Amino acid sequence: MEAKGYSFMRQTSSIVLRSVYKEYRRDEFVIPVLADLDLEVAEGEYLALMGPSGSGKTTLLNLVAGLDRSTKGEVTVHGQVLGHLSEAEVTRWRANNVGFIFQTYNLIPVLTAFENVELPLLLTSLSRRKRREHVMTALRIVGLEKREHHYPRQLSGGQEQRVAIARAIVTDPYLLVADEPTGDLDRTTAGEILDLLELLNREFQKTIVMVTHDPLAAARASRVLHLDKGRLVDEVIQETRVSIAS
Amino acid sequence: MIPLKYNVRNLRVRWKTTLMTILGTALLVASSCILFGLVEGLEYSLKVSGDPLDLIVLRKGSSNETTGGFETSKADQLLTLPGIQRDPSGAPLAAKELLNIANGERANGTRNNLIIRGVQPASRDLRPDFKIVAGRDFVEGRGECIVSKIVSRRYKGGQIGGLLYFGDKEQYRVVGIFTAGGSAAESEVWADLRDVEKNTGRDGSVSCVQIRAASLPDYEKLQKTINDDTQFKLEAKSEKAYFEDQSRMGLFLKAAGTLIAVLLTFGAMFAAANTMFAAVSSRTREIGTLRALGFPQSDILISFLGESFLLCALGGALGLLATLPLNLLTIETFNFGSFASISISFRFGWTVAAVAMIMTVAMGLFGGMFPALRAVRLEVIAALREL
Repeated sequence: MEAKGYSFMRQTSSIVLRSVYKEYRRDEFVIPVLADLDLEVAEGEYLALMGPSGSGKTTLLNLVAGLDRSTKGEVTVHGQVLGHLSEAEVTRWRANNVGFIFQTYNLIPVLTAFENVELPLLLTSLSRRKRREHVMTALRIVGLEKREHHYPRQLSGGQEQRVAIARAIVTDPYLLVADEPTGDLDRTTAGEILDLLELLNREFQKTIVMVTHDPLAAARASRVLHLDKGRLVDEVIQETRVSIAS
Repeated sequence: MIPLKYNVRNLRVRWKTTLMTILGTALLVASSCILFGLVEGLEYSLKVSGDPLDLIVLRKGSSNETTGGFETSKADQLLTLPGIQRDPSGAPLAAKELLNIANGERANGTRNNLIIRGVQPASRDLRPDFKIVAGRDFVEGRGECIVSKIVSRRYKGGQIGGLLYFGDKEQYRVVGIFTAGGSAAESEVWADLRDVEKNTGRDGSVSCVQIRAASLPDYEKLQKTINDDTQFKLEAKSEKAYFEDQSRMGLFLKAAGTLIAVLLTFGAMFAAANTMFAAVSSRTREIGTLRALGFPQSDILISFLGESFLLCALGGALGLLATLPLNLLTIETFNFGSFASISISFRFGWTVAAVAMIMTVAMGLFGGMFPALRAVRLEVIAALREL
């Protein structure tokens, strides 16, 4: 399969990192996490970040998602320099542009599947009827429209992750960030979730940045970056991606 | 905005902690409300006792009708002064009264000081809503008396036909039960003036004279005449001011009540804060998720403050409801002004409602403030890592 994302990356870059340096301070200790990182991700690209623990992949994901700020350098996502935004502005930006998929799903246990998916829409001015339409569309895409009244505890792990994916796409963001989205799932269920992510990338042209330890998950991406000690050490453009299992 | 059902359901999920906090809060609100309800009852009973045209004449320098008296001859002169309101039969609306503090035996065997008031016919018209509710009025000179409902219920021999016995020389046969609009008179026993004079050996003296002026100018004129007359050596006080003076005990109770309420509120604030801190700690990752999804800090603050407020509001409402049956409660306490017992009925009024509301808001807002601020200040990334 052709790595179509990479081919047009240089013309329409969705994410651009320029000389990004990130360090954390713990008391008197300074811990460098990312060192002078340059990166471009094309619109509609499916990027996997791999590397050992502490290599900086989750930090990189957080920077791109607007959850964290770089110590030096510039992070631009869809033309917006994130460093120029205030805390409140970057929060609003996240709500409009980023969908989050977490390893442990992070659903709100006291809300039903429908209510969980509806959460990001509560930040918009959509009417209740419109919100319902959007939520049901998202649940339909992940195949859980019949589980709208179920609470997370009444769903399997895979179903919970599907609800989380529905929540991530319900506002139709152009960037999806996924942190170990299959880390808590068995092989079969993980395959289904990866199918779903691939579908979102192919059919809905979502730009996806995914952190994973799982080579099989990474194999679904159009490009795999390997990080070590805060630096990019390897880049694989996948000519042939593993096709959708189903 | 984070939906309210998120908070309601979280309270329901942690139902044991929620219930304990609600019950604790309810208990504190109820105890403060009872205290303030009784203070309000005391103030009310003393407030309704005074009519704006009424004067009470006491010996100069005497602050209370039980602690000073003067000659009947002076009292008789007072009754002839111009400007006193007349009843339809033309008799002056003024009465000589003699008070005796007698040690009565309660139905439960304990003893307490009771006010025996020797009255004249006009005394009834000088009290608000005076009514005989059972039996009949006493006949003068026959050693009969009428008692308030509370005295009838609480004292041995206080029922109709019973004998109120205060010693061999002083005893009265109860022939009727009266109410007086919740005024201070409802703690007393009323008998004929001459019977009380005879029984107490205080013939020729009165404790006070109650006068109702015909109009406001007459009221001022009467007061000036009595106070300026050097022969009289008497003082005509506005009845309103007199009873306000008597309600100083209420002020003390109010001050003590306020202090207790403030301390209780602080206690409840810590309880609410404790519950909310636990809520924030157990939901750190949820907070991180909500922040990541784009909910601003203000929404998180409002959500957790709202949850704390809801918790305390439920407690406050329950506490307030618990005080409702106490509307029928009457307690007997000692009036340091008259050295006799006074009955106070619990009153559910604005003060009680305001106390409950202030306590609830204070507990909810201040108890929830620090946990809510903690939730707001959580770093999104650190919060997301919490298990």
